[in-house]
Formats: sequence, C-alpha cells, structure tokens
Amino acid sequence: MADALFYVMAVAAVLAALGVVLAKNPMQCVLSLLGSFFALSIIYLLAGFQFLAAAQILVYAGAIMVLFLFVIMLLNLGAPGAEDPTDVRMFSRANAGLMVIVAAALLFVMALGIRRAGPMPVDRALPPEGLDPIPGLANEMFGRYLLPFEAISVLLLATAVAVVVLAKRDRRANEGSQP
Amino acid sequence: MTVPSEHLLVLAAILFAIGAAGFFLRRNVIVVLMCVELMLNAANLSFLAASRMHALRAGSTGPSLEGPTFAIFVIVVAAIEAAVGLALVIALYRNRQVVSLDAVTDLKD
Repeated sequence: MADALFYVMAVAAVLAALGVVLAKNPMQCVLSLLGSFFALSIIYLLAGFQFLAAAQILVYAGAIMVLFLFVIMLLNLGAPGAEDPTDVRMFSRANAGLMVIVAAALLFVMALGIRRAGPMPVDRALPPEGLDPIPGLANEMFGRYLLPFEAISVLLLATAVAVVVLAKRDRRANEGSQP
Repeated sequence: MTVPSEHLLVLAAILFAIGAAGFFLRRNVIVVLMCVELMLNAANLSFLAASRMHALRAGSTGPSLEGPTFAIFVIVVAAIEAAVGLALVIALYRNRQVVSLDAVTDLKD
C-alpha cells in the first residue's frame, strides 16, 4: 500500500515538475510547483522523515509559494494574454531540442552514478519515531553543525536587509520626476 | 514503505534534470527561479535518500542525521534565494517593465 502510494506520488511529482517547465502562464507554473511540493512532502512522510515533511509544507508551500504568487499578482503576470512572447515561442526554437538533450545527458550521468552506488535494500523496519527524531536533529544542529547554523542565521539577516534595500523605491529618482 | 532507496535517488535525478532543462529553456525570470527551487528540492530528496539508505541497512546503529540536518539548511537557502530573486524581479520590473531574460542583456552587448 505504502509502496504503491510512493510510486503514485513520484509520478505526480514528475508530472507537476513537467508542468512547471511547459506551462505558458506563470500562474499555472506556480500551481504545478505547489503540486510537486505536496507530492514530495508525502514522499518524505512515507520515507520516514516526518519533521522534514512538515517543514516542506510550512516553508515551501506556505512561505515561498506565497512569495511567488504575491510577485506574480503584483506585476499582473497571471492575467490571460499576459504570457511572455519569448516564452510562447520557446518550443519552436532550435535550442529547445538541445536543452532536452542536455537534460537527458545529465540524467544519464546521474543514473550511471546511482547504478555504481549499488543496490540499497531496506533491511530494517522503520523506527516508530521516524528517521529524523527532533531531539537528535537538535543535537546535530546545535552541536556539530553550530557554525553553519550561525552562518545561515547571519545570511538570513543580511537577506532581510538586502531585500528591503532592493525592493524599496529609489527616493532620489522620484524627486527628479515629481515637482 | 519497503521501496529501495535508489528509487528515491532516481526520482531526485529526474526532478533535477527537469529543473535544469527549465532553467535553460525558459525566459521568464520568475519561472527560472521556480526551476531553481525544483532543483534544490531534488537535492533535498537525494540527501534524505542517502540518510535513509544508511539508517535502514543491515548493520546500522540508528538514524543518520546529517541528511535531514543539511536538508533543513537547503530549505533555508531556498527561502533566501527566492526572497532575493523576487526582490530583483520587482526592481527589474520597476526600471524596465519586463520580466524576460532576453530583455536584460546589457552586460552582453
């Protein structure tokens, strides 16, 4: 049952990812990406990563997707007929085929690597607390990986400042145009 | 679930290849950012598949927590990348009224 659900969700994730690449309207791309994230979070749950599944829903579907939807609606790109003309033309381009070949080559190299890694059978039952118990995760994050944790919190702070500076209206430019 | 962990890795590889193709193919900056998110998700899935492989093999002594820890770091980096990228899109739209990468070739010309 769980195995069948995994394969169904894997197919759903791949189809939704294809929808992101192939949809013409940015709004359809966002909704496909949301479907892909939900399918992946169910896969995390099936594989035993309960906390990561919750974080995937909360951070990706809850925060990042809202950010994308906000920008698309702010710039009014989701309106019918607002498709980018260069994007509509992209599949007739000669380099579209080239990119498919590049992706296939990438996939081939990764498949070779996975084959070389050998079989990865499941020998043990999944422990009831899952594979990412919160106490163990906290021990890792605030113990061995404290320095990356602190670095990433400084990065978050710098990002918050940078985004405000980037998205702020330039006051000097406005003074020139307004009487 | 008794699916072997290499099937998770294959799924991650397929998602990464789709994201990479979209990254090269699309010209809308927002869709390009979404393809980057797709690739980061594939990287996350392969971290978790490797962690699962180590935790569920025969001689394992317990969960292997490096994978989930770095998956959390990747999620934070993805959020940061989306925030900065979308702020750049807003700044670009304000100055040029375009979101197409073909319209922003000042450094190439």
